[in-house]
Parts: sequence; structure tokens; C-alpha cells
Amino acid sequence: MIPELGQFGLALALALAVVQSVVPMAGAARGNLVWMRSAQSTALGQLVFLALAFGALMWAFVVSDFTVRNVVENSNSLKPMLFKVAATWGSHEGSLLLWTLILALFGAGVAVFGTNIPHALRARTLSVQAWISVGFLTFMLFTSNPFERMLPPPVDGNDLNPLLQDIGLAMHPPLLYVGYVGFSIVFSFAVAALIEGRVDAAWARWVRPWTLAAWMSLTAGIALGSWWAYYELGWGGWWFWDPVENVSFMPWLLGTALLHSAIVTEKRGAFKSWTILLAILTFSLSLLGTFIVRSGLLTSVHAFAVDPERGIYILGLLGISIGGSLTLYAVRAPAMEGGGLFAPVSREGGLLINNLLLAVATGTVLFGTLYPLFLEAITGDKISVGPPFYNASFVPIMLPLVFVMGLGPFLTWKRADLKGVLQRLWLALALAAVAALVLWYLVTEGPVLAVLAFGLGIWLFVATAQEWASRIKLFRAPFSESLRRARNLPRASHGMTLAHLGLAVCIFGFVGSSAWKEDLIVFAEPGTEVQVAGFDLRLEGVEEVPGPNYTAFRATLVVSRDGEFLQNLYPERRNYPVARSQTTESAIRHSLAGDLYASIAEPASQTAGEAWTLRVLYEPLVNFIWLGSFMLVLGGALSLSDRRLRVGAPRRAKAPEMAQPAE
Amino acid sequence: MTFWIPAAAMALLAVLMILLPLWRRDGAAVDHREGALAIFVDQLKEIDAERARGLISPAEAEAAQLEIKRRMLAVGRLKGRGPARTGGAAMLMALAVLVPLLAGGVYVMTGAPGAESLPFAERAEERADTREIVELTERLRERLTSDENGGPTEGWELLAQTYMRMGRFDAAAEALGRIVDREDAHSGHLTQWAEALIAANDGIITAQAGAAIDRALDMDVLNPAASYYKAQWLEQEGRSGEARELLVLRLRQADEAQPWMEVFLRQINRLGSETGAAPVALDDFVVTRGPSAEDVEAAQAMTAEERGDFIRSMVNRLAERLEDEPDDLDGWLQLGRAYGVLGEQARALQAYQAAEGLLEGLAANDPRREVVAAGLAEHGG
Repeated sequence: MIPELGQFGLALALALAVVQSVVPMAGAARGNLVWMRSAQSTALGQLVFLALAFGALMWAFVVSDFTVRNVVENSNSLKPMLFKVAATWGSHEGSLLLWTLILALFGAGVAVFGTNIPHALRARTLSVQAWISVGFLTFMLFTSNPFERMLPPPVDGNDLNPLLQDIGLAMHPPLLYVGYVGFSIVFSFAVAALIEGRVDAAWARWVRPWTLAAWMSLTAGIALGSWWAYYELGWGGWWFWDPVENVSFMPWLLGTALLHSAIVTEKRGAFKSWTILLAILTFSLSLLGTFIVRSGLLTSVHAFAVDPERGIYILGLLGISIGGSLTLYAVRAPAMEGGGLFAPVSREGGLLINNLLLAVATGTVLFGTLYPLFLEAITGDKISVGPPFYNASFVPIMLPLVFVMGLGPFLTWKRADLKGVLQRLWLALALAAVAALVLWYLVTEGPVLAVLAFGLGIWLFVATAQEWASRIKLFRAPFSESLRRARNLPRASHGMTLAHLGLAVCIFGFVGSSAWKEDLIVFAEPGTEVQVAGFDLRLEGVEEVPGPNYTAFRATLVVSRDGEFLQNLYPERRNYPVARSQTTESAIRHSLAGDLYASIAEPASQTAGEAWTLRVLYEPLVNFIWLGSFMLVLGGALSLSDRRLRVGAPRRAKAPEMAQPAE
Repeated sequence: MTFWIPAAAMALLAVLMILLPLWRRDGAAVDHREGALAIFVDQLKEIDAERARGLISPAEAEAAQLEIKRRMLAVGRLKGRGPARTGGAAMLMALAVLVPLLAGGVYVMTGAPGAESLPFAERAEERADTREIVELTERLRERLTSDENGGPTEGWELLAQTYMRMGRFDAAAEALGRIVDREDAHSGHLTQWAEALIAANDGIITAQAGAAIDRALDMDVLNPAASYYKAQWLEQEGRSGEARELLVLRLRQADEAQPWMEVFLRQINRLGSETGAAPVALDDFVVTRGPSAEDVEAAQAMTAEERGDFIRSMVNRLAERLEDEPDDLDGWLQLGRAYGVLGEQARALQAYQAAEGLLEGLAANDPRREVVAAGLAEHGG
């Protein structure tokens, strides 16, 4: 019964979405307040029914109801409870349900919290959001029904890929989706503004919190995904330029550009048309990502051609939403008034360069992601575009961006004094140059790009810190005065500082762990000793240990440095009998200076006897990546909490709200 | 039904969600002008604050404020809509009716009304049954392996069939592998073995399975399963044309319709669609069961005696077929009725008795139960 209630919940959500996609839009056009308001309750209703459906599916997974095909295919009665829960969104159907749930979540968010947004804009936005809902709900119901029944039920389920049986991954898709799908509301705002024909500074302000929320989640999702890949896949890398990673990274790049261009629209009324275009393109890239991941195109172009039903449906949605919104843009954008003028060297100019570089970087990743797919479709050749391509194309685009990032916050709006700014930044420049030179000296054979990137990271860090210090007059005024200034500084300002520092910290991690990584693979028998990056490791032995639904070979490695014992590492090789597959559980010695990372694999052959394949890696500074990512997300959260984002028209019925005490 | 109560509650909630805006009818709409003005006023204050903190020069502050004021003027020029309209209740009420209907329609299309859920924990009995079958199977296996003479062939065959049903294809192939080289092994054993091997290899025909198929064909060229798998093998080798020919050839050798022919026809037509060959139907190969229009016409033109003979030959054909397919309940009923018409009480009774044995598992209100009971009573059962 419960799966059927879930199914009925989906049907009700679809019916409400159909109503919401027409009535509020008509209400906004005719000035009918009741119709406009209906968007708020239907958006909430959609969220309620999709949450019910999601809950019903989760229930089916939790109690292992094998009358639901989805549960049969993606779960197993022996699976640990946490992963039964996570399996809810592990499958194609379940992840689509999560997709639409998050879509509804953002719609309901605007319905409930968007009280400062004009009624007409809110109604139109929610209608556009409902169009997307209708598209994806019909896609789910008619091609990928999560509640399809299987009667009579089989005795037990077929398990989930044990690789996916991991806390990091269990949390990864929901977070990634919140970001990915969150950009839908920004898209809806953009399309609503185009329909309304009014984009101004106020519009940019209304959209900002939603862009920030989506961007934060996407940042957290990407960071978590790379963290998972780092410690679960057993290859010691944190980013593989894999298409699945790229499709989440592209919306992030463009979303970052959008976040910045919207500032210009908000402060100077400029870049309107560009901001709208970015909002459309960011979500289009999210849709493209959904298409690429969900159509099976990645497994093989051939597989897609054999069973194209799902892919064709998403492709249709993609065509309608991207084609439709861009056509609307082409019709309406020329009518937008230009904003304030600015000189090339100015805050606006800096943000323009930021936008251009981010857009070019996105294009580069898009090319690298799609080219192999097109090539396979046309010639049948399978190639993979990997790190060499991106190191040669993406990284050089990002380096000037980092340079401008250090500079940008110092520039004033309209016209800035570049010479003056550079004079103020001599410290940052000098430190960066010194650091780069020291590195050059330390690793004479070191890669030029890495040294340059590291220097730029230092530059960004020092310049950002200096900008913040100058705002609160740190060391130039009494400390209590600085503290008072820091308290009064808008939260968004702290947020920007923290996020920019976060990126600098990330860069240290990126460069350190890729350019100065030490890697060693040996055939090891009990007693084998290896040296990596000053650590001595000895393989004590390998024993077989049972797990909840697997058995594992666990190696014991003794780690010491300079004869002093540090700790034991226990990398595992797990065997899941039901799923007939194996995973590698690496063991990591974490420290801020770098991670010592060990993994083992079975003896290569029978003849190799007791020799295990032991892989030991030393990744300097790698934890700076997650630390920096955390700072990025925290910076976003600080900005989101800025009181200015909640400024609204005073309620006529009540006394006007007092603005907060003057800053 | 318990489903309908929560489902009705959900539908009611959806209706309320549609009607909710009708409750609050205070006409206070935030329009773009007011919203934007509030933000610009805030921006002006912010610039004052920045100037006070010395972040921007007074001249810059003035220029920025001037710009914002210009924007305020521009927004102020926007035409207000005047008082917002609050009509349109009829539309929402109509939609409140339509939404549950639409949702119900979508649900009927996509859902499985009436299908109960069945949590794993509530299926202990079923699992116990499965365990029992597993235990019995293992006991049979032990008995067979411990038998000094290697165990009877039928025993291994039964064991293999059980394993096949359990999806343990490896074990089934292993069991059959023990008997295929015996004296009493027949073509069917070899095709069963091949089937198990193929299933164990995810549908790929290995060399071992291929050899088994060839041996099965050698032993009995008319074994349809052997021809079927041989055709699959040919197809796997990329020889689809030959595969199709083989299947067609085997159908030509048949003289009456058999259930396996449907599978052959599907394969032939699937292979044919790749090469562009015209589709074929069962009529192209054999006379389909039951009297055709010509038969009826011919029968009408016969004398009473000729007709009796003709009917008798049809009945014999049916009886023969039922020997091969004893599970065909409708066939037995047809046969019983035919014998009754021909006045052969004993045979009619036999046919109804055979049908009676197949009633188990039918619904209590299945009309065929009555037909059988009536037939048995009529012919003295």
C-alpha cells in the first residue's frame, strides 16, 4: 500500500505542477492577486507530495519491500541500514525523484521565504519552476517509474554496487543535487524577468540569496565527491576530469561567474543581459549534466543508441528549455537598458575579466567533456580526454583569474587607480615572488606551472587578507577600533574574504598534491619495507577479517620516521559475495603537511605467492583542498546571512519595520 | 481498502492547496515599484555608512547616491497596477475538482492499484519454504553423490531442473554434466546441459555448450531445443542468415503446430528483420489447430458418415496433442465434449477426469470448475 501512496503522491505533485505552470503566470499577466498567490500554496503542495513519495520509497528500501522493482535492483536484505536509506537515491529512478524533490524544495523556498519579492515576479518565477517540474515528473512517471511493482516478489534483492556503499557517497548526490538543481530557481527568475521585461538592480538583489544557496551546495557537493574519490577509489587522486565530475564542475564555474556578474547588476545596474544569459546557461549546463549522466551516454554511445527512450526524453526537455529560454532571451535582451558606465580599470572591469575567464574555462571543460562523445558517435573511436588536456588548457586560464582575484576587491567602482592599488599590494607581490623563488630553489626540477600557481596562491591569500585588514584598519587603528569595524562590516564582505582565502588555500592543496606527489607501487610480502617521503613502512602481514556483508583482507603496515614509531595503517581489500565485486579501502595517515596513503590488492597471480600489490602515496598539502572548500562554503553562508538580502517593502498594514541600527 | 483512506486524505490536501489563496483576500500585493524602492533606500543608507567609515570618498559617495536616486526615479515612473484584482475564484474551484481527477488518471496509468506492500520481515514463512526447498535439494544432491553407481539419471535431471528454477545455473550445469556421457543420456539431456551452461555464462554460448548442442543434434535431428540453440550459436558467430535458415528448415520438418513454434517464429522474424527477409507466420508451415474455414465447408458438403469420420480424425489429433501437452485444461474440456458428442462415454469421462486434475490453483469462481463437474456427472463420474 505504501508504495502505491507514493505513486499517488507523484501523480498529485504532477497535477499541482500543471496548475502552477499556468495559473500564476496568467494571474501575473492580468494582475489577479488570488491567482498569483496560488503559486505559493501549490509550490508547497508539490513539496509535500514529493516528500511523501520520497518517504514512501525510502520506507520500501528500509523494510526491504521487494515488491518494488527499484528495491529489488538496488538493495538487499543484508545491507547495513544506513546504505538501505542511501540506496533510495542510488538508482536512476530514485535519483530522479530526489531531483524533482529538490526542484520542489527550491520552489517552496521561494514561496515561503521570498516575502520581499514582488508578487508578479514571484508568481512568474514559480510558474517557470513548475514547467521544469512538469517536464521531469512526466519523465519520471512515464519512463523511469520509481514505484514500479514486481509481483510476485523475489526472495531477496540484487544489492547496490559496494563501491557506492560509503558514507561520503551516500551524502554526495543529495548535496550535489541541491546545488545542481538549485540553479533551476535562478533560471526561473531569469525567464520570469525576461517575460516581465524588467531586469534591474533590485531583481539582482532578489535573486542573490538563491544563487548563493545553490552555489554553496554545489561547492560542498563537489568537494565531498572529490573527497570520496580520494579515499574510496584507492587511486589516491581527488579529481580525475571524469565526465561525471566535469558536468557538475561546469555549472559551478558558470554559477561562480553568475554570482559575480549579479553583483555588478545589483550595484551599478550594468551587465543585466549578461547576468540573465549566465543564469540561463548555468541551469542549461545542469540539465546537460543530467542528460549526460542519466541517458547512459557515458557508459557507451552505443548503449544509448540501443535503448534511447530515456535519453531522447531528456534531450527533448533539454531542447525545449534551453532553446525556449534562449529564444526568449534573443527577443527580450536587446530591449534592456544599459547600466552605468565604467572605465576598463575598475571593479566592474575586474569582474568582467573574472566572468570572461570563467566562461572560457567552462567552454574548455565543455569541449573536453563532449568531444570524446561526439567523436565516438561519428567515427566510433573511443578516446579519453584527461589531465594532460586540462593541465594545458584549463589551468593556464585559471592562473590570470587568480591574479585578478587578488586585485579586484581593491578596485573601486567606475574608475580605479591601478597604480595606487599595486603600490598598496607590494607586500603581497613580494611575498608571492619570494615564495615562488624559494620553491623554485627547493625543487629545481619542479614544474614551472606548479611554481607559478603556488606563487599566485600566495598572492591571492595575502592580497585578500590585506584587503580585509585595510577595511577594518587592522594595525593602523587601535585594536578595539578594528574590532568594531569588523563587526560593522557587512557579512557579505566577510563572506567574500573568506571565500577568496578559501580558494587560495585550495590552490595550495591542488598544487602540492599533484606536483609534488610521491608514488610507489611494490610487490610486498610480510616483512617488506619501503621508504616514501621520509616515512618507513613495513608490511607486518595480511589477515582475513569478516565485515557485515563482506569479507576483507586487511594488511597491517607499521609506519615510522627516523626509527620512531608513528602509527599502524590498515588498508583493506573487501569482497562482497552477493554483488560479486571487490573494493579497495585505503588507509590514510592524515596531517596538514600531507597525507600518507596506502592501499593493497590481491597477489597478482597464483605464482606470485604471498606477494601483495602494495601502493603507497605521499600527497603533500592535500587536506588544504577540503579545508579551502570548507572556507568557500562558509564564505557563501556568511554572505547568505547578510541582512541586506532580506530588505523588503514595508508592510502597509503594520508599522514600517525599522532598519537595523545604522552601521 | 486501507489505501483509499490515506489517498483520499492526500487528494483533499491537494484540493485545499488549490483553494488556499481564496482564504486570505487582503489585497496587499507587493509590486515591483515598492520592492525595488525599499532596496534602493537601503543601498543609499549603506553608502552613507561606507562614507562614514572612510571606505569611499565623499565625492564617490555622492556620485553613487546620485546614480541610485536616478534609478529610484526610473522605478517611480513605472505605472502601478492600481488595486490588485482578487476575482477568479471560479477558476480555482474548477481546478480544485480537476486536480484529483487528473492525479487519479495518472495514478491509474502508472500505478498498480490494490498491490500490497510486503516488507522483508513479514515474509519469514516464504523464506522458510525457500530454505526447505534448498535443504531438500541439498539432501537430494548428497544422496546422488554418495550413490555408488553415480545416482540415477532421472535424479540428476530433477536436481538440475530445481537448480535452474533457483537461478543456480552453475550447479545445474554441473549436475547435468555428470549424466550427459551416460548410456541412457538422450538429446534432451544435452540441450538442457547446453541451456544451463549458456545461462551460467550470461547468455554467451561457450565452446563446451556449442559441442553439447552439436551432439544433441547428432542424437536427434528433430530436437527443437537443439535447433534453437544451434541457431543462437550461429547468430553469435555473426552468421544470422544461416541461423534463420536453420530455424525455417526445422519448422518445415514439422507437421503440426507445437507451442515451441511461436518462439521459433519470433526468432525467425527478428533475424529476418535484420536482413530484410519477409516475416513468416505459423500458417506458412503447418495446419493450425482447430478446424479452419475450409474444413468446416468441406464437412458441410459431406455425408453423415463421412462427417463422422472427419470429426473422429480431428478428435484423434486433439487427443494425440494432449498426450504431449497434458497441462492443457481447455484442450481436455474440448476433448471431453467431443467424445460426449460422439457418444463415447468412457473416453469422455477420462478426459473430464484429466481436466479435474488440473483444476487445482484455479480461482474458486472459475467457470471451468462447473463445466468439469457437469461433464463428470453427465458421463457417470
